[in-house]
Parts: sequence; structure tokens; C-alpha cells
Amino acid sequence: MISVFRLGAPARARLHALRELYRRFFGENTPDARGRRLLSEWLSPAQRAQFEQYRYFDVVGSDTGKRYRIHYGTAANVHEVNDAGIATMGWCFVPSGFLVPGDVMLAQKIALETDERAALALANRFPPATHSEHFYRRPF
Amino acid sequence: MATQIVMDHSGDTRHEFDPENAEALARAERRFRELTGLGFTAAVRTAPGEVTRIRSFDPTAEETLFYPRLVGG
Repeated sequence: MISVFRLGAPARARLHALRELYRRFFGENTPDARGRRLLSEWLSPAQRAQFEQYRYFDVVGSDTGKRYRIHYGTAANVHEVNDAGIATMGWCFVPSGFLVPGDVMLAQKIALETDERAALALANRFPPATHSEHFYRRPF
Repeated sequence: MATQIVMDHSGDTRHEFDPENAEALARAERRFRELTGLGFTAAVRTAPGEVTRIRSFDPTAEETLFYPRLVGG
């Protein structure tokens, strides 16, 4: 009985490791995780560090030089911020279709950094107090 | 190998092709025209974190990213 138990332990360990591997594999291959990975690949090192710490990153508009803060999310997640980092205006524009947050954020970054005026021309403005920092800081 | 990355509901779909292969390159160019014709924006990385939009197919680009047309939210 003891020998069976001893033989069983490594098998259980292997099974546990296999389960963990599956869990990680499928967990990291969800659309959401893929979107976050793509976003991370295309951010600058400074933006990536900011995003990992705060779940948002800043971009500079290509036309005005204004700073925008892109929060993790798929709607109403872009804020124009002043030098003190305080939101002064919200801008809502998103890629059409049902995309995951990472994809939406990457499209917003590219739009603001390469054609700010066009992005803002189609965006809807909203008061920046609509969402609290708590709202944006929910875990992934 | 070069890659065209198309954002979609699954996160993204990647199309890899050999830029040295004329037939594969022609397919990639056709895909570029189809996607941009549908309103997708195409962009390439020029440096870490630096992105440039492209309006015509770049056969030398290692990665080209496509995202759907933007709309007001």
C-alpha cells in the first residue's frame, strides 16, 4: 500500500504540472490576453512600464503635442491630461467591431500618434469625471 | 518571414509570408489592398513604440498591423 502511495505521488505531481500547463496555455491564449500581448509589443518601453504599473499609458498627439492617457478598456477610456496629469477632457473613439481592450487601446495609440486631428474629429467628447480611477484600476 | 497582423474578435489573426517568394508577396499585397479598401488602417513599427501609417503596401515591412475603421464611441 505504501509503495503504491509512493509511486502515485510523482504521477500526481505530473498530473498537477500538466493541469497547470493547460491552465496557463489557455489562459494566455484568450482573445483578451492576445490583445494585451500585442499591445505590449507595440508600446514604447516607457509606455509599457507605465501600463504595467498603472493600467494606462500616455501618448502625445501628432498635431497638437497634447498628452492623452489611454486607460485599459474599450470605451470612454481616453482622457486628455494637462501637465499635472489631471484629466481635462474625455474622448471616445474606438475601432469598429468587437475588439478586445488591448486591440482598442493600440488602435487609439496609433491614431493619436499619427493622425490626432482625424481621430478627434470623429470622437465624442465627455466630461472626464464620468469614470473614476477606481473604475479603470480593476484587475485584468 | 514577414507578418500581417489583423485585429479581430479573437485578438488578432496573423498571416505570415516569405517576402522572397513572389507569389506570397503578391498575395500579401492583395490582402493589403483588400483590408485597406474595407477601411482598415495599416501601420508599421519604425522603432520600439514608434509607429507610422502606411497607405501603400511595403514589401520590406517585417510586420504590418491592420485595425478596423475608427468610429466615435
